[in-house]
Amino acid sequence: MNIRRATALASLALLPFAGAAHAQDAPSQPGANDELRREIDEQKQRLAVLERKLEIQDEAAKAAAASAPRITASATRFQIGSQDGANFIRFRGTLFADNRAYAGDSAPETADTFLLRSVRPTFEGTFGGIYDFKLTPDFGSGRSSIVDAYVAARFKPGFVLTAGKFKPSVGLERLASEPDLRFMERGLPTLLVPNRDLGVQLSGDFAGGAFSYQVGYFNGVTDGQSSDNLATPDVESDTGGDYAARVFFQPFINSDNFNLRGLGFGIGSTWQDLDGLAANPYLPSYRSQGQLSVFSYRANTATGTTPNNATFSDGERLRLAPQLYYYRGSFGFLGEYTQVKQDVSRTVAAVTRSDTLTNSAWQGQFSWFITGEEEAFRGFTPGSTFRPGKQGTGAWELVARIQQLDVDDDAFVGGGNSFANPLTAISKETSYGVGVNWYPWNTVKLSLNYDLTRFEGGAATGDRADEQAIFSRFAINY
Amino acid sequence: MQPTHWKRRLLLAMTAAVFVGGVGQAAQAREITLLNVSYDPTRELYVDFNKSFAEYWKKKTGDEVKINQSHGGSGRQARSVIDGLSADVVTLALAADIDAIANNAKLLPVNWEERLPDHSAPYTSTIVFLVRKGNPKHIKDWGDLVKPGIGVITPNPKTSGGARWNYLAAWAWARKQPGGSDATAREFVKALYKNVPVLDTGARGSTTTFVQRGIGDVALSWENEAWLAQKELGPDKVEIVIPSISILAEPSVAVVDKVVLRKGTRTVAEEYLKYLYTPEGQEIAARNYYRPRNPQIAAKHQELFPKLELVTIKDFGGWAKAQKEHFGDGGVFDQIYAQ
Repeated sequence: MNIRRATALASLALLPFAGAAHAQDAPSQPGANDELRREIDEQKQRLAVLERKLEIQDEAAKAAAASAPRITASATRFQIGSQDGANFIRFRGTLFADNRAYAGDSAPETADTFLLRSVRPTFEGTFGGIYDFKLTPDFGSGRSSIVDAYVAARFKPGFVLTAGKFKPSVGLERLASEPDLRFMERGLPTLLVPNRDLGVQLSGDFAGGAFSYQVGYFNGVTDGQSSDNLATPDVESDTGGDYAARVFFQPFINSDNFNLRGLGFGIGSTWQDLDGLAANPYLPSYRSQGQLSVFSYRANTATGTTPNNATFSDGERLRLAPQLYYYRGSFGFLGEYTQVKQDVSRTVAAVTRSDTLTNSAWQGQFSWFITGEEEAFRGFTPGSTFRPGKQGTGAWELVARIQQLDVDDDAFVGGGNSFANPLTAISKETSYGVGVNWYPWNTVKLSLNYDLTRFEGGAATGDRADEQAIFSRFAINY
Repeated sequence: MQPTHWKRRLLLAMTAAVFVGGVGQAAQAREITLLNVSYDPTRELYVDFNKSFAEYWKKKTGDEVKINQSHGGSGRQARSVIDGLSADVVTLALAADIDAIANNAKLLPVNWEERLPDHSAPYTSTIVFLVRKGNPKHIKDWGDLVKPGIGVITPNPKTSGGARWNYLAAWAWARKQPGGSDATAREFVKALYKNVPVLDTGARGSTTTFVQRGIGDVALSWENEAWLAQKELGPDKVEIVIPSISILAEPSVAVVDKVVLRKGTRTVAEEYLKYLYTPEGQEIAARNYYRPRNPQIAAKHQELFPKLELVTIKDFGGWAKAQKEHFGDGGVFDQIYAQ
């Protein structure tokens, strides 16, 4: 097009010379002059038409571009949407290829394994700049389930309505998205809060995110579980729902104070009045940091006509989860404490024992980008990428964590009538973990974690053997 | 209290919170935004009209209403609405373009024309000639347009509503000539388009081509666009020629139901269009050189709107037939313009 336009302009520029040449041929003939003038006018018209046609082509191209869908296919995003950004559909996903190995006698050899920890394609989008949806199935760990499936209406920053299956807002690390986790597996406090559940939630941010809230009502799930783990997946099967609420403050998020800008703290909570049955106890089991089962309440051992003697939930369940994070430059800290008060009962030989058990967990985890990137609760960008033979190392991060899970001692009182068996269920675990993460590319992460976990109880004699878990992961998060 | 009662209460409370929030917002004086998707030459009309309506609506309801305007070739504008442009109202050059929205995107009922008086065409116009000062090529009627050496400026009927009126007016003239028929009309229109050096996408673009770029000897123009050009440039630059016969151009208006339902703007959108029929709306139309339907206001401005013989779209069997026969893919225009 530029060449055509240049040709047209060049022709226009040559017109006077063309006219002059004609004029020299017939300088003194009025008729010839008129003819010459007519020819020049015609040429000018032709050039004007050509120019106008080019203008119209330009306008058409601009109009087409303005109404054309905006397609983004970058290193971090695959998206198609309208030009104004109000409507789009995005394709994302995670794929975690893990290896789990255990040192010493802490786990049977059969526990060493490769596994696909997470295989989650995600389709999400927005319509009208207000209405969001997200759909994430998971094909990891040898099963298929819907992890997230919800719609949300962002009427105002302080008034967002969400319905479907998603994370109830309680535990801090649970709310971190998979790509933002510093350790391969979430910490022990996350064992005590809901994973995914079906329900409805109102939420919002105020003062530019300095204060946020979430209140919701959900079907209710046992500690650490998702609604797809229920006997009838993703359907409420008890009489009571879970009420969830959380407030979170980031008082300096909008300030210029570099030292305090990354401070956030809050508390989450759930409450449910839940009457279980021995045949359907609605009680959790807990895992070690190495993802092995280390605690569960007593299951039914009765046979024949003897009544079921499993421990079951029998009343209120209250979770409290104070939480905090602090990020400053390349350093990050995330700390949380979670406590669950659970009413339980167990009937043995026609005698029912009831109690309120309090289980708790806490963790403090530290992270440091040794390559200088900024730590944050959500997202980061590597300062460089790694490609063989080229400059750049990618981002390197060191992480460390100390954490503990403490099961109420009263769970083990009563000998054979206790709520949990002290010979198989631990009463406490304390874990020390270190790890290194390498981000060679925005969407690629390689992790190596080592966790040493010490237990109290959980063995026929003495304590369950220490667990040394060495986990590694090759992950794509896009 | 039983847990189930708590559950019901919470759900009720949350529902009430949403409802009260919505009602509370509705109870306040609101700021409403409408999008009027219109055709090319109505820019000035709707700048004038929107200001008047906003004042009227503020006085009537206390609400602020802001009307955004979108202009372009009528056919192209209809395509944009079909493709998702959220028009609360469409005010297009001809009924066929709104029919296309109703038929192809189902955004409004097919009987939309019956919802407002005068089959939803609150003002009319016609097609005239705009020539250069002194009419140096002596163009007086349609027959002069096919003479050798005459440059005729008219937009593309595939994208412009005004261009379709131009085309049909030319066809009507040829058919009314002695011995005239559809066959002779076709040859006449074919000869006319041979004299068209540039096909703009809309009427405003054609005016630019003729007036600002100095291309062509005559522009086939909406009457209002011709008056506007003369007003802008002065009678010493361009003149208006009234042909012996032309066509009654009826730009149509409609609320886009599915959009106003989604945005909650039905009431104000409907009132917006009804305001076009009020004396104020009709006066604004006349002031912008559109022929008002209101006889009193038309009489008041009669010097702007000379009487001439006008055919109507009914003479072509209605828009559905004319659109398919002449402007549809593979229709007469495609055939003659490709040759």
